[in-house]
Amino acid sequence: MITYIGLENIISPLGITAEENFNQIKQGNTSINYHRGIGFGHENIFLSKLKNTPSFYELLSQCLQAVIKGTEDELILSKDTIVIISTTKADIKENITTPIIAAIKKLTKEFQLQQQPIVISNACISGVLAMNTANNFIKAGIYKNAFVIGADVVSDFVLYGFQSLYAISDKPCQPFDKNRTGISLGEGAGGVFMSSDKNVFKSTCFEFVEGTSSNDANHISGPSRTGEGLVRTVNNSLALAQLKPSAIDFISAHGTGTSFNDEMEAIAFSRLGMNTIPLNSLKGYFGHTLGAAGLIETAICLQSLRNNLLIKTLGFEEDGASEKINITTRNITTEVTTILKTASGFGGCNASAIIRKLK
Amino acid sequence: MNYITTYCHIALNNCYVNGKLTHSFNSNSIDDFTKEFYKSLILEYPKFHKMDRLAKTAFLGTEVLKKECPEILNYKDDEIAILFSNNNSSALTDVNFQTSYQNGGVPSPSLFVYTLPNILIGEIAIRNKWYGENMFTVAEHFDAEYFVNYCNVLLHKNAAAALCGWLTIDDNKIEAFLFFVTKKDFNELNLPLESKQLIELYTKN
Amino acid sequence: MEALKTKLKQQIIEQLNLEDFSVADIKDDMPLFGEGLGLDSIDALELIVLLENNYNIKLTNPEEGKSVFNSVNSMAEYIVKNRP
Repeated sequence: MITYIGLENIISPLGITAEENFNQIKQGNTSINYHRGIGFGHENIFLSKLKNTPSFYELLSQCLQAVIKGTEDELILSKDTIVIISTTKADIKENITTPIIAAIKKLTKEFQLQQQPIVISNACISGVLAMNTANNFIKAGIYKNAFVIGADVVSDFVLYGFQSLYAISDKPCQPFDKNRTGISLGEGAGGVFMSSDKNVFKSTCFEFVEGTSSNDANHISGPSRTGEGLVRTVNNSLALAQLKPSAIDFISAHGTGTSFNDEMEAIAFSRLGMNTIPLNSLKGYFGHTLGAAGLIETAICLQSLRNNLLIKTLGFEEDGASEKINITTRNITTEVTTILKTASGFGGCNASAIIRKLK
Repeated sequence: MNYITTYCHIALNNCYVNGKLTHSFNSNSIDDFTKEFYKSLILEYPKFHKMDRLAKTAFLGTEVLKKECPEILNYKDDEIAILFSNNNSSALTDVNFQTSYQNGGVPSPSLFVYTLPNILIGEIAIRNKWYGENMFTVAEHFDAEYFVNYCNVLLHKNAAAALCGWLTIDDNKIEAFLFFVTKKDFNELNLPLESKQLIELYTKN
Repeated sequence: MEALKTKLKQQIIEQLNLEDFSVADIKDDMPLFGEGLGLDSIDALELIVLLENNYNIKLTNPEEGKSVFNSVNSMAEYIVKNRP
């Protein structure tokens, strides 16, 4: 049985469709900008913000609507359809005591959902976990279709928090680079549609092969020095997919731009024997979009599959990890069939997903 | 068929395991209660005191389940999936973190780190060196169907057991329902993993 | 200086949630990040907050922290030198 995935959508400062976003980043354009005085100590901060400052709910709703357009209208109303949402802080700006439930109730009403949405709030791996969950439910026959949407907004709360960890970069983030100094926050939404039925997609879809998660069991905010959780999840996903590491044509890594995260990923991919597989991070274009990251970045992966084009890692210039991996330094036109998406997050969590073109 | 092998309920000053009262305290506050409860378990795990209320509660519940079902310790280090859920994410700590910088102070990194509900899963994983599947979800009410469905899915896939929990933690509330799901009914409680059964256990006490 | 060191120890215990420790347990020259107190990287950042909230001293470079937070002695010396 196959789980199909497609109808990707992105809402970011670079555009309101996946195609628009892909075209922008293809040209090397970033949404990360200089914002004066917004830090806790009125520091100037580089981050990515949407001009009209939409709320979390608006992003969620807009993205879901866009994805729905790519299928038959009634699917969203079906009892066999589940909506899975991925977010870290949801509506924290509007409602700190119940930032998630109020928005979900509104969404359920607006779209007349027949099943309670599942909301995954699991740090930065939420997006990949959401797709894994959809895949698991679909393969088990519990649901036939899943709309998977992730969204997060930039807030003082999150910015000040990362500043307290000294994790905010003083320049636009530089994933894997020797001179990297931290993350650049971003906001937006990403969405995909997954289903057991290929025919409900109005455009070409792909196969969601497998996905798993694993915990480092090491530290709540620092990644494992040996990349244990990331190694395990990738190995598990590959094993369940019955694929060898060499079957992967391209890796869309997490690459946040912090010293520890990027070092951990380099070590993990090296341990996995994946040093020569082209790899990138997209955070130089979108910033770190937290709960939306896994989905925005997977949407770009699907665009890469459609266009046979791998995107350069913006912000990366010089190797800055103890293990050498094959980071893209320019856009690469090449036949791409199978992609590995990974994510890592606070709490020692890691997740991976394998997506490939249909035969 | 998967089983609910062991379960516990935690509320202010009380802990029930498999329906029986196992721990009782006379603390005047929730924070004193969690401290006393921790001390009574003689865990010697000073990291406990750094956790926020949500993580402490999940941690204590897990320790209590481990005692009642020692077979937990025989699983391989990646065979136990950890699934927790609640209604308000990390709201209590979120408010505390916001307070740390809104009244003339500086944002606290040790509070910020707990403003993600899945951190409690990290704490449990670290304590037990469990590398398996992990996920935190937010729902309006206890969703028995989700737990039944997802445990069945994971136990059929790449997990051999699952540690699950639904928490209600607030400024003046502490309630937790944790349960351990396995393929073998170790404690012979004969509680099959079914929605009706799970809801019945949850509403007990 | 002695009063400052005692106050500092109390603040460290409170700020870092070191429930199992008393002021007497923390020796002036004891390495804070050694075996004894089991402090980690988050604790180091929290000590930066302690300096700012309690003594109005802003440590802009966390790297500096390694020497400043070596022991209660080094912390006290730093405070006396940099207090506004």
